[in-house]
Amino acid sequence: MSKEVYGIVAKVFSISESDVNDSSSPENIESWDSFNGLILVDELESHYNIKFTISEITNVKNVADIKKHLKNHNVELNE
Amino acid sequence: MEKKLSEYLSLAKNINISKNEKKIKVGILGSFTLNGLDECLKVKCSEQNIDYESYIGNYNQYNQEILNSESGLYKFEPDITFLIIDNRTILGDLFHNPYSVSDKKRREIVDEKFGEIKNLIEIFQEKLNKKLVICNFHIPYFSSIGIIENKSDFGFHEMINELNKKLVNFVKVKNSIFIFDYNQFVVKHGEKNIFNYKQFFLGDIKIAFDYIPFFANDLIGYIKPILGLNKKCIVLDLDNTLWGGIVGEDGFDGIELGHSSNGKAFVEFQKQLLSLWQQGIILAINSKNNLDDAIKVIKEHPDMILREKHFASIKINWNDKAQNLVDISEEINIGFNSMVFFDDDKLNQERIRNEFPEVLTIDLPKDPSQYTEILTDLNDFNVLQNTEEDSKRGEMYAQQRQRNQFKETVSNLEQFLNQLEIKVKIKKSNEFTIPRISQLTLKTNQFNLTTRRYQEEDIKKFVNDDNYLVGCAQVTDKFGDNGITGAFIVKKENNIWTLDTFLLSCRVMGRGVEDAILSHIIDDAKRNNVKEVKAEFIHTAKNKPAENFLKDFGFIKQENYWNYKLNNDVEYPNHLEMEVE
Repeated sequence: MSKEVYGIVAKVFSISESDVNDSSSPENIESWDSFNGLILVDELESHYNIKFTISEITNVKNVADIKKHLKNHNVELNE
Repeated sequence: MEKKLSEYLSLAKNINISKNEKKIKVGILGSFTLNGLDECLKVKCSEQNIDYESYIGNYNQYNQEILNSESGLYKFEPDITFLIIDNRTILGDLFHNPYSVSDKKRREIVDEKFGEIKNLIEIFQEKLNKKLVICNFHIPYFSSIGIIENKSDFGFHEMINELNKKLVNFVKVKNSIFIFDYNQFVVKHGEKNIFNYKQFFLGDIKIAFDYIPFFANDLIGYIKPILGLNKKCIVLDLDNTLWGGIVGEDGFDGIELGHSSNGKAFVEFQKQLLSLWQQGIILAINSKNNLDDAIKVIKEHPDMILREKHFASIKINWNDKAQNLVDISEEINIGFNSMVFFDDDKLNQERIRNEFPEVLTIDLPKDPSQYTEILTDLNDFNVLQNTEEDSKRGEMYAQQRQRNQFKETVSNLEQFLNQLEIKVKIKKSNEFTIPRISQLTLKTNQFNLTTRRYQEEDIKKFVNDDNYLVGCAQVTDKFGDNGITGAFIVKKENNIWTLDTFLLSCRVMGRGVEDAILSHIIDDAKRNNVKEVKAEFIHTAKNKPAENFLKDFGFIKQENYWNYKLNNDVEYPNHLEMEVE
């Protein structure tokens, strides 16, 4: 279900899903600004019905970090 | 169902300024992060075919934007500006420890804060003669002194309440400044939903993402009436819309209205419709039914709230609903874009949606318990000012229906007019009539010689100018009061009077009222030893009904103007009574 996370990331940042991978980050995605980052948090939280902590959110550097935090919230990502 | 903020963000990317007839320029000034509001407004405007342009003030820079006459806001010149300040910003430290100071000090602080906002409003008005909407302040549920909060002298909650009251009282008499009841907005959705601590800490977001679209929707409630997109008429089905069941099958005693749970839902819905009617929203019926069965319910059912007198047009027959809608539109002279259509039947909804996309067709669910909420959630009935004529409109249209019925019983027009007992009262322009005169110039399309549109401020200018004469006419007859339905503006120059504006609401057209008003003006001119009375007819797509008026009255065309010889005797139509104030 990595693909599902990529899909959500792609939708929020208005980019193609094929351009998203684990190393995608604010450095290489232009539209990943702080506001859109928070929109991504909101989308992930409502999609997986979880609540991230503030430290999880502020520590995210790339998509791999997001997946790691999702796993911490017992979201199964069958890679 | 409201869409999520993320959807608005992506939809907004695909909207380009197009060539819509309706355009709005919006300014947004906020004391906290309001990202996404702009996109929501843009998408919602585009859904209404409005071109939306915006100026978003920098984060928490509302003071600079308003105080500095060179600011981006003033350069942009928005038609409407939303000033959104939150309770934490305005109260500062006192938001958390209001009881660290005495109640006397708390009062002083409220006065001071009110003074700051008052100053902003006054400076805004001085620099930009456009509309301003200010949010009032939310009263949080929490108080550090808990259950005895309201026992304290001028406590925390009372402080905010007082600030809101001062704001409302200050703005009440200013007709281009409005208060958005943000406190009610939070009450409607719940403080625990609107204020999300996590989003607040992460980005100074004080309206959670999920609620930005709702907030935008409420703000659109101000934009629609500015552009004349407010709805004026609700067209209603009967069976399963105003009552439960089918009267033709279930019978007078078998329909659900009152008493049962469903029956109560229909009564509640009707009560809400009645309260809109009292504010000037016109009601009409479009129902496939046996007329006798349905009318009996409307006239005699003990739990019916809406009666015959509340409906401006009643179409109960077996005709096509779309055709009925055309007939309603013609009968009450209202465009499809001013109509809302309530019908429980999906096929009827589809039929009207396809035939008249400009009608707001409600997606009415099967369950009547949802009807009232659907109605109260609509932001389409807002007006920015309410004249006496607005609040009496429903009544006036019902009288109009009686007039038309009466017309069918008399054999000719002359007899009809004679028996109508029309009285025309010429009134001066004053603080009570000026808003209505302006409204008439803005709204009257058909019987309008020049179609010049004037805001209230413009009319006031004419009234205070000795070279202009401004008046209006109130028309009553045996069925009731039509209110102020005629208006005129005469320019007086070198002993020549020129009709700058001469108009009559379509409601009273064709009854000699227009002749009576013009006769009055000419009489007045003669009394003032005026040399000449001149008039213009400026042709538009809609003013054909006024095309031959000047000629028929006896004006003679000379180049661009129509002239009237003042040596003629002035004749008044003899079927009506005149009174001059």
